Amino acid sequence: MSDNNSEHLHMNIPKYIGIFMILVVGTIATYFAATVDMDRFFPGANTLVALLIAFTKMTFVMLFFMHVYWSKRLIWLAAVGSFFWLAIMFAYTMQDYLTRGSGTFSG
Amino acid sequence: MSTHETSDKFVYHEPGLQHQFEDMGQQEESVSIGMWMFLVQEILFFGGLFTAYLVFRSKYPMAFAAGSNHLDAFWGGLNTLVLIVSSLTMALTVYYAQKSNRSMQVIMIVLTMFFGATFLGVKAIEYTDKYNHGLIPVAGLNKKIKDDKAAHETGHEKPCWEVDHNAPAVEHPNPRGDFQWTDCSLVKLAQDKNFLTESEKIGYFVKDENGGDRIDANKFRDKVRIFFFLYFVMTGLHALHMIVGLGLMLWLLWTAFRGHYTSEYYMPVEMSGLYWHFVDIVWIFLFPLLYLLGRHFLH
Amino acid sequence: MNAQTAITEGHADTPKGNYLTNGSTLASWLLTKDHKRIAIMYLISVSVFFMMGGLYAATIRLELLTPASDLVETATYNKVFTQHGILMIFFFLIPSIPAILGNFLLPLMIGAKDLALPRINLISLYIYWLGGGLTLFALMQGGVDTGWTFYTPYSTTFSNSFVMFVGLGIFINGFSSILTGLNFIVTIHTMRAPGMTWFRMPLFVWAHYATSLVMILGTPVVAITVLLLAIERATHVGIFDPSIGGDPILFQHMFWFYSHPAVYIMILPGMGVISELISNFSRKKVFGYEFIAFSSIAIAVFGFLVWGHHMFVSGQSIYAGMVFSFLTMVVAVPSAIKMFNWTATLYKGSISFDTPMLYALGFMGLFLIGGLTGLFLGAIGLTVHLTDTYFVVAHFHYVMVGGQVIAYLGGIHYWWPKMTGRMYSEFWGKISAMLVFVGFNLTFFPQFILGYQGMPRRYAAYPEELQVLNIFSTAGASVLGIGLIMPAIYLTHSLIFGKKAGDNPWMHPGLEWRTSSPPPTENFDVMPVVTWEAYEFGEESGLDLEGAKRRDAASIA
Ligand code: HEM
Ligand SMILES: [Cu+2]
Repeated sequence: MSDNNSEHLHMNIPKYIGIFMILVVGTIATYFAATVDMDRFFPGANTLVALLIAFTKMTFVMLFFMHVYWSKRLIWLAAVGSFFWLAIMFAYTMQDYLTRGSGTFSG
Repeated sequence: MSTHETSDKFVYHEPGLQHQFEDMGQQEESVSIGMWMFLVQEILFFGGLFTAYLVFRSKYPMAFAAGSNHLDAFWGGLNTLVLIVSSLTMALTVYYAQKSNRSMQVIMIVLTMFFGATFLGVKAIEYTDKYNHGLIPVAGLNKKIKDDKAAHETGHEKPCWEVDHNAPAVEHPNPRGDFQWTDCSLVKLAQDKNFLTESEKIGYFVKDENGGDRIDANKFRDKVRIFFFLYFVMTGLHALHMIVGLGLMLWLLWTAFRGHYTSEYYMPVEMSGLYWHFVDIVWIFLFPLLYLLGRHFLH
Repeated sequence: MNAQTAITEGHADTPKGNYLTNGSTLASWLLTKDHKRIAIMYLISVSVFFMMGGLYAATIRLELLTPASDLVETATYNKVFTQHGILMIFFFLIPSIPAILGNFLLPLMIGAKDLALPRINLISLYIYWLGGGLTLFALMQGGVDTGWTFYTPYSTTFSNSFVMFVGLGIFINGFSSILTGLNFIVTIHTMRAPGMTWFRMPLFVWAHYATSLVMILGTPVVAITVLLLAIERATHVGIFDPSIGGDPILFQHMFWFYSHPAVYIMILPGMGVISELISNFSRKKVFGYEFIAFSSIAIAVFGFLVWGHHMFVSGQSIYAGMVFSFLTMVVAVPSAIKMFNWTATLYKGSISFDTPMLYALGFMGLFLIGGLTGLFLGAIGLTVHLTDTYFVVAHFHYVMVGGQVIAYLGGIHYWWPKMTGRMYSEFWGKISAMLVFVGFNLTFFPQFILGYQGMPRRYAAYPEELQVLNIFSTAGASVLGIGLIMPAIYLTHSLIFGKKAGDNPWMHPGLEWRTSSPPPTENFDVMPVVTWEAYEFGEESGLDLEGAKRRDAASIA
């Protein structure tokens, strides 16, 4: 971090605008993807696509707008780790809901 | 770090250096780690809501789809774009601070605030719309509509699964301002196509006289209400974060205007930027998860 | 700020003061950014909550002296145990070691002038006061009766007590804990003195790093949970109400996602203290430093994977129960590693039985029992019999009181000379340490048996045949109470009449002992440069034992 001053070298206005355009395209894509019935391929496909786009958008915001790309390892760890923790919360909660009263242990 | 001349009597302090640090590098690192830890905390804070969302959505997907179809994807999408623009201007604020360009900093902060305020304005429009249509999940907080017969004809006699959800919204009588929901066509659809979940088979139906299952409008309404509850809590907390962000921007505007930030010292700008982008990211997820569920049923 | 700048700017001619004498007005305390003063204010506030919680505990034990519910009405009894739990857990145990000892010692131990974010530190104290104040206000209005776990739908729909206010108090208080954790993490990353590498840090610091992780990753979730609870209670939308499609078990998931890790907030700092005490009073380098350090981190991480062991009988799926049961067994491993290493540290050490060491040894025995009974409860078959009985009550008191509170007392005694510059009476110290140990066991050991015999928790009355053990328990509580009141007296007494402690009364090598007692506001006169490993008792640590003894003798004389 002490060589913070070199940070402006990494991004310039065209690059910022480029990232911005990606985000706009992502938003529009999200909308149109939702109007197509992809759930007929497998349940949840629509949501999956929506989330994939959202994650991509988030990655761009984090890496370039929030400068994570040029940050220390600890910052990377914080960014990735917090989502890992969310994943823990989701996964371990759902492993309960998805196995209620089913399989070998039912009844 | 750049060194400064030191007099023999005093250790020279760089502008903004706090006493507990040895130099600016240490301070900047501390502040940035601190801000990131704060964001981690924020992510888990919203994460609790997303867990609740996940659980209820997986239990009652049709209720969520139905509720979501009554959110206005146009306003939601517009707001997404508005926030993205504000994120761009925020990023540029940092950029101009790094360039020591005071006037552009100020312009960019003003733009950021403008778009932030626009976002909140749009939210206000949406909330008002929900208020008018009896979609606020709390009894008594919706617009109270007298029980005149004109509205009576339109949909009430039909069973709830035959309501045409593409029809223009009608104002149902709502004398006590309750949460109102009359449309369970999606349940019918899912029942016909046989993709109701186990909890939905229990959650939306009652036994009729012949021992068969009949869709129950009230039970379905309760599940849709949960969707709207989550919608309001999630977007409400998000809006609260926006308001805090605007306060932050106001302070930033003042200090930037006074010329506090240069390529030497722009930590506050960068940190406020992190916060602003974080709030943007939350919305990036809220938009598809709240506004776009079951869109394809509308077409 | 001005006074502080003057000090940073290093006027050699400023008279040598310490943090206690640097300003005596109320404002100099309330507006201070000095981590040591904030720690002292925490000490006082936390003690107030401890005392109030203790009064509730006394009421519980008195009520349970007889089988009938005669001292208080059953409805009142519900409030009494709820408020006991809430005050003790959220307002005493969670801030106890981190906010007092951690706050005071972390910068000293790593050679920093202060925590990295002193203003945030002060804000966290104010938030604590705000949350605590709100909770006390609610208690005076009539209190809550939901149990400290706030299970829905009782808390949202049926209870007519002040759930909202208390929930809000806990919500607010949570941010105090988050900010403390945040501050510690930043401080440990950026404020270490030259030469203070990660593996030279005292284990106390490692433990606080792990604790802070839990605080940051867990506390926001409970904050949002009680917020949802409060909204649900206010609006009755029904997300937690099963009769209209809500899901009470979701509440339990979200609550325990924090509250199981929170039990590690309540034990990790204690383990940190014990690592210091065991090593220092054996005058021996701690055995397996890296193992103890990493086991703290492992506890913090794996602690997030086991919350479902509180929900075995709540309607969670059996499959999930088995997974959580298995992981519960796994998470006991890092705790066991610590126990083994401490024991190995004692082996062939030159042990001295000063008061803090008595507490440390007490901790080892009690935490052992507490942890092992945790395994009983984590075994999915056994717990069906034991859950919601006094066995659980005994288990968590063995870890929370036998563990954390005893470690806290040990730590307070150990660092008291550093914090105040005075030595307490060793005689009374030892007496009270032994009273606490005996009283504690007498109080809680019978509860294991009671629970095993089927006495349920949270009832004001119980069958006649269980009375004998309950009398033991109440008698023990009286002894414990006396043991806990005594330190309050002789420690306060020592503030004025205690003999001067000297800079390093224990002759220990840690950085905190290499500055004056009490330390100056900036902690060290010159920035220390660390050239020795942690717990290095020999000459190589640069610790001039002979010189220190001479100096101390002179300063005391
Ligand atoms: C060695 C590791 C530990 C294991 C395996 C363990 C296991 C368990 C289990 C399975 C329960 C649930 C009992 C039931 O309700 O049936 C429980 C309850 C509890 N434990 Fe532990 N525990 C451990 C350590 C701790 C520690 C270190 C603390 C606190 C410092 C703690 C505090 C509690 C509390 C407060 C409860 C009761 C919660 C309630 O009110 O229902 N435990 N423990
Ligand atoms: Cu647990």
